[in-house]
Amino acid sequence: MNYIKKEMKKGIKLHILNTDKFKTNLIAIFLTTKLERKTVSANALISAVLRRGSNTLKTQEEISKQLEELYGASFDCGIDKTGDNQVLKFYIETVNDSFLPQSNENILKMAIETIFDIVFNPFIENHAFHKEYVEQEKNNMKQRIEGRIDNKRIYALDRCIEEMYKDKPFGLYRFGYVEDLKDINEMNLYERYTQLIEQCKIDIFVSGNVNEEVENIIIENENVKKLKERQPNDNTESEKNTIKQGEKIEKMDVAQGKLVIGLDVNSKNEDEKYNVMIYNTILGGSANSKIFQNVREKANLAYEAGSRYFRYKDTIFVNCGIEISNYEKALNLIKEQLEDMKAGKFTEEEVENAKKSIISSIKTIDDEQDTGITYYFGQEMSGNQKSVEDYIERIEKVNKEDVIQVANKVEINTIYFLRN
Amino acid sequence: MQVIENSKVKETLYLEKLENGLTVMIIPKRGMKKKYMIWGTNYGSNENVFIVPGENIKTEVPNGIAHFLEHKLFEQENGTNSLDTLTALGVEANAFTTNDMTAYLFSCTDNFYPAMDELMNYVQNPYFTDENVEKEKGIIGQEIMMYDDYPDWKVYLNAMQILYHNHPIKIDVVGTIDSINQIDKEVLYKCYNTFYNLSNMAIVICGDFEPENILEEVKKRLKESKANGEIQTFYPEEPDTIVKEKIEEKMEVSQPMYTIAIKVKPTDNPEEMVKRDIAIQILLELLIGKSSSLYKQLYNEGIISRGIGANYEFSENYAHVIISGQSNDPQQVYNKIKEEIKRQQQEGFCEKDFNRIKKKIYGEYVKDYDDVENISNMFLANYFLGINSFDYLNQIDNMNVEYLTQVLNDVFKEEKMVISIVKN
Repeated sequence: MNYIKKEMKKGIKLHILNTDKFKTNLIAIFLTTKLERKTVSANALISAVLRRGSNTLKTQEEISKQLEELYGASFDCGIDKTGDNQVLKFYIETVNDSFLPQSNENILKMAIETIFDIVFNPFIENHAFHKEYVEQEKNNMKQRIEGRIDNKRIYALDRCIEEMYKDKPFGLYRFGYVEDLKDINEMNLYERYTQLIEQCKIDIFVSGNVNEEVENIIIENENVKKLKERQPNDNTESEKNTIKQGEKIEKMDVAQGKLVIGLDVNSKNEDEKYNVMIYNTILGGSANSKIFQNVREKANLAYEAGSRYFRYKDTIFVNCGIEISNYEKALNLIKEQLEDMKAGKFTEEEVENAKKSIISSIKTIDDEQDTGITYYFGQEMSGNQKSVEDYIERIEKVNKEDVIQVANKVEINTIYFLRN
Repeated sequence: MQVIENSKVKETLYLEKLENGLTVMIIPKRGMKKKYMIWGTNYGSNENVFIVPGENIKTEVPNGIAHFLEHKLFEQENGTNSLDTLTALGVEANAFTTNDMTAYLFSCTDNFYPAMDELMNYVQNPYFTDENVEKEKGIIGQEIMMYDDYPDWKVYLNAMQILYHNHPIKIDVVGTIDSINQIDKEVLYKCYNTFYNLSNMAIVICGDFEPENILEEVKKRLKESKANGEIQTFYPEEPDTIVKEKIEEKMEVSQPMYTIAIKVKPTDNPEEMVKRDIAIQILLELLIGKSSSLYKQLYNEGIISRGIGANYEFSENYAHVIISGQSNDPQQVYNKIKEEIKRQQQEGFCEKDFNRIKKKIYGEYVKDYDDVENISNMFLANYFLGINSFDYLNQIDNMNVEYLTQVLNDVFKEEKMVISIVKN
């Protein structure tokens, strides 16, 4: 695979991942802006309103028909938190022309035009979004936010994050808040949209078997031409959390208790985070990990038990689903594992195994289009320019001492338990 | 080896049925770093009554045993656990059980052969003890409780309860706390010896491989085994009718969830399975897909806020259409879908829409061939039904309005429809 990055205009970057491995082309537009209480709900709503209709394809039905005509091009959008930023993501995936019955249709070009049209050329009337769309999407957004409780596992994790990052950008819910919706209308939402498009960091990704022509298609696109240079308003620094939040127990109608523990890692720089990745893999990141082995395989307290490292926030979340009466038992077992890590009670072999599993997953980024895009966006956001080879080399360097050092900096910040 | 090429997706399947009965399928993917291997047995949670080869009486086993067996197969006589061994090799290993099959798999970039050693060793060498069976009950018990907290799973299972009178598709794949408590090592061995015979199994390997070489590598690792002939399994008599039309359950959810299901008469003809599957996919798009008029209406009226999920699930002995989602008024969604079916049955559908949807489905089939994991899982599940996955790419050309109309009338029958709702 060949990766090229170009700054098209100040604040707008084009990333091309050229590869002939796939039958599809994947195009993505990421709009990155700082997470703020005052804009988080409107930003989330914008992405919902945009997919309702563009200036060219004014209804969802027209958009859907167009996508179907493009041999089932799939359009998707999502909202993510990346560090202290809110990222509006739009994707379109199409079949490469060489796998189509009639190869004279330039599907890629049409797909690129469609996604730019949806994101940058919305359906506008009198300097406002279409009123009906905004009102409907406000209702839908309300349901979506309230729908948080439907997946108890993810809900527990989100609640732990909120507690741990109380009053901090990262503590904000990525879809926003129901109470904000009543003050949003088609006019002020459009105003917010114009502001967002003028100020946000824009990254455009194209992954697939593409030639130089694709760059021209994008540069020459009318909607891209309209975009102005900008000093992007994303957060390049991520706010550290310093206050310990302690224990938080909440009740809900659940069959199984969901335990989430938020850990501050306290890395001193970006480079140290590679050591943390190894630490997390040994602690709870795989089937061989201390938490999986001790909580599940030895004590048989859980089916799901593990941990995840949020690199941008330098935070680890441990989670498991347990019998409610086993709360203390599970918590103590997990604390024991944290202590054992500090005391270096793990083998060189475990360090080597952790490296193997991380390296193996990094190697597959060339084999999965969306993983490739996520990787290069991650590099972009963390200010790293590590190639896959450099990344692997850095992981190889980690030794047991490094991991013990990480272990001794790790502190429990928040213990969250959802029970009945 | 049988060599089957497909010019549309430009892929080739190499298939070999070994003397011991095992089927090996290889789909080479040049230039891919990721490699994938999956070993499945044509045995899932539905096979609960059978005759152990060599015996002449029926054996009935506790619900959830196929899944329990899947968990236990990782345990080794020397005290190690194969999942740990595989993870230590830096490969991603896993296993899963469905109503119809059980499969063991791994994906990796390096260490393919050592991982293959381990996978092929543990699947061929069960080691069950009273102690290790007992301990698993705690873990699976928590897995069952985890699913208890998933309203989307509950609403689906409830639909199966009212769609089927007796068929084991009604039963949760993982079983219940009670049923798994009845499991012991003897009954696990019985199931293993019956269903893990090589003649009941298939391996799929996908990645940058030379087919002949990789086939030899598989053969080298196989224990001596004789095909144990056809396995006799028994299913209870299942009437064509539904049990009742509606079921509701209370759970803490933000908005009611629904699963609408339509009972379909199963076919055991693989060609017909594929044709019907494609036709139903096209019909579901025409009825409630994102470009349909019903979808537009429901969305604009605020009755639905997200897409409606729809698919067709089938084997030789069960078949049903599933339509699911969230809505404040599931009953109205149900009524409108019924009306729309009736309208399309009377008025027919527009040929232009049909052609557009056909393009969409074709594109989706092509997309299935990018990921080694997806390709392998698809070929394996289809193989157990007697289907070669390439057939989908070939059969879609044969779809026409007459056939679709016939399926619309045969499958989408009002008296075969049920709705399950979960709400506060």
